[in-house]
Amino acid sequence: MATSLAGLVNQVKKVMEQRPSRRRIRMLLALVAIVVLAMVVQLIRVQFGPYAPAFAAIEEIVAEQVDKVEPTRGVIYDRDGRVLASNVPLYYLEVEVRQLTETSKKQIAAVLSRALVLPFDDVYSQLTYEWVDEGQLRIRLTREISGGKRWPITVDQIAADVLKGFLEDPEAPDLSGLSLVPAPSRAYPAGSLAGHVIGFVNQKGKGYFGVEGYYDDWLVGRSITIERGYIPLEARLRPDPPAGVNLVLTIDLDIQQMVEDILKQTIEADNAESGQVIVMDPENGEILAMAIWPPLDPNNYEPWLPPEERSEEESEDDEEEPVINPAVAGQFEPGSTFKVLTMAAALDAGLVTPEEEFIDTGQIEVGGHTIRNWDGRAWGSQTMLGCMEHSLNVCLAYVSSEKLGAPMFYEYLRAFGIGKQTGIDLAGEVSGQLRTPRHPDWTESDLGTNAFGQGVSVTSIQLITAVGAIANQGVMVQPHVVLEVVGPDGVYWPKTTVLGQPISRETAETLTNMLTKSLSGETNFAHVAGYQLAGKTGTAQIPGEFGYDPRWTVASFVGWGPVRDPEFLVFVRVDKPQTSPWGSVVAAPVFREIVERLVIMLEIPPDSIYEGLNLEE
Amino acid sequence: MRRRFQAFQQAPWRVQIRLTSGSMLPLIALLIIGGMYLTVNARHARAGRQVLDLQRQQAELLRYNAEMGATLAEMTSPERMYQRALGLGFRYAYPAEIDYILLKDYTPPLPFIAPRPPASTNTGEGMLSPAYTETLGEWLLRWLGW
Repeated sequence: MATSLAGLVNQVKKVMEQRPSRRRIRMLLALVAIVVLAMVVQLIRVQFGPYAPAFAAIEEIVAEQVDKVEPTRGVIYDRDGRVLASNVPLYYLEVEVRQLTETSKKQIAAVLSRALVLPFDDVYSQLTYEWVDEGQLRIRLTREISGGKRWPITVDQIAADVLKGFLEDPEAPDLSGLSLVPAPSRAYPAGSLAGHVIGFVNQKGKGYFGVEGYYDDWLVGRSITIERGYIPLEARLRPDPPAGVNLVLTIDLDIQQMVEDILKQTIEADNAESGQVIVMDPENGEILAMAIWPPLDPNNYEPWLPPEERSEEESEDDEEEPVINPAVAGQFEPGSTFKVLTMAAALDAGLVTPEEEFIDTGQIEVGGHTIRNWDGRAWGSQTMLGCMEHSLNVCLAYVSSEKLGAPMFYEYLRAFGIGKQTGIDLAGEVSGQLRTPRHPDWTESDLGTNAFGQGVSVTSIQLITAVGAIANQGVMVQPHVVLEVVGPDGVYWPKTTVLGQPISRETAETLTNMLTKSLSGETNFAHVAGYQLAGKTGTAQIPGEFGYDPRWTVASFVGWGPVRDPEFLVFVRVDKPQTSPWGSVVAAPVFREIVERLVIMLEIPPDSIYEGLNLEE
Repeated sequence: MRRRFQAFQQAPWRVQIRLTSGSMLPLIALLIIGGMYLTVNARHARAGRQVLDLQRQQAELLRYNAEMGATLAEMTSPERMYQRALGLGFRYAYPAEIDYILLKDYTPPLPFIAPRPPASTNTGEGMLSPAYTETLGEWLLRWLGW
């Protein structure tokens, strides 16, 4: 044992003492030299070989690129926090041309044409086009829309998830080269509810009309330019662009829904052309509901785009340009609801009292023009209260021409904001038209006709704002639809803006009492049991090219309540009703139906219960 | 010294080994440094990949949340709620059908305040430790307090 171990050790010593082979060292050095040479050759091939352009292109793509980052557009809520406008992801379909294979071209075209109902040939031709020759390595797939224009193909989240599944599944169709690029899009979950108030955003992210248009700069935020690194070594914290503000509207979606339902039923029942209802709080100007018929669905805004944004074909098809939100952008002659302002002016000036007598002969001549009552009758001895109750044109023309006179009459109308914009925070408001003696087209007969709302044009929002002064103790407040503006740094509540005090508190109370009595008399269609309400009907002829159209009217009603402490002011307008032309028949019942539900939604107890509560306290 | 010279003459392969070792040493050093560099870069790249992945995930989640929010809003829209209520047999009440109860010290619900949109974040330059961005010279100067 010891002998064999010693022998082994001797053998190892002999090996260690032998001279190492020169050949082995040379082989080792040669091996190292070959490896180094191979690395150098490969470096040269990468830098200058046939694949050099491809590598350079990849480097170009993944190198830092300057990118514009758009912020998220602000969300719009109703006053109770329900979403009216939000952002949802849409995806563009883009193709990296150099990654396409013959198989993937066909399969991409097949999948997209079936899933998105697109022409196969159209998609396939885009995939097989020689984009590289034009220097384009990445293209966005488009589809043809009307008018020969092409629009980028967009898919929603559901379709995008399916396509992503295909891209990740090796067993699925080969979609090599296809990628989904997210693009923000606006969604309006409530559909056409309050559509005219909200407005819409087009595909380029620009807001039009309503709140989207008026507050577009605030909602859109501010984009920033960053250097975006695509390779891991260049990854770093990315700054977020300043986001747009969120808005809370004064709109109560439940009241809006209720009002829109009733308006729709009325339009259908009376076979009318259009209609509007506005519900406002006269104390602070908050618009609780603004219903317009025909409605606007911001999710399908194309028909409402301005002409310059629509295709030529669409522009030719439209007979006339649709008016977005006619409550602020559409003028009309208000008719007898305007008498409220005339009587307010005369009462405030101390020129008439509610009990003052007037002998109605059935006609009056003002500026050479003969004015008659709505029924052509003479109503005999009437008080001013009776004139309002029976809506006598002759009486009011007498008040404006014989009592007030032109300077005082138009001064009061200006104080009521007629002929001026209210400044409501909705895009597209117009100022209406009031011809005063300074206007070259004014004639003395206007003094008579303006008294009962003909020959003067207002918007619905102007009229309700002016009447709001009577409901609010003489103080006229600016209407608004935004309750809160919420930015990254805090919350801003717009304050109530007082536009003026055209009449005194006493005048407002006096006129309110007159209209309360008149509502319970002539316009009992507007009466709601248990509540004292004030209001006035209106039936206005519609001016045409050759004078007033005898066939059609604008039937309207304006009213407020409860009289003890007004919490709502409602204006109803129905254009060209076919069942009856009269405001008392068409519009007043709408007012009643709305108020019957409104008092419950606003938790306003009947007068008797309210008085009982006060007695207990 | 003579003994060493003699040992060298008897075993010249030791010179060759030494020469080989001498020429291999810089290469090995280079390989070691290269290996360290690759290791650090690989960790850097892994971290960067994680950052990119997290950023993608964040963007996906934000888009998913937005989609869910819009879907929820649509499903709870007044029209849908009204139809469901009608289907359950509810209808609008009229004023005469309402009973009013006086509750003393009743506190009405607070008005809705919308969530704030996200504020813009800093670029992150100021949040990084100098160890990630400064050179050796800069570190030396900082350490010396100059």
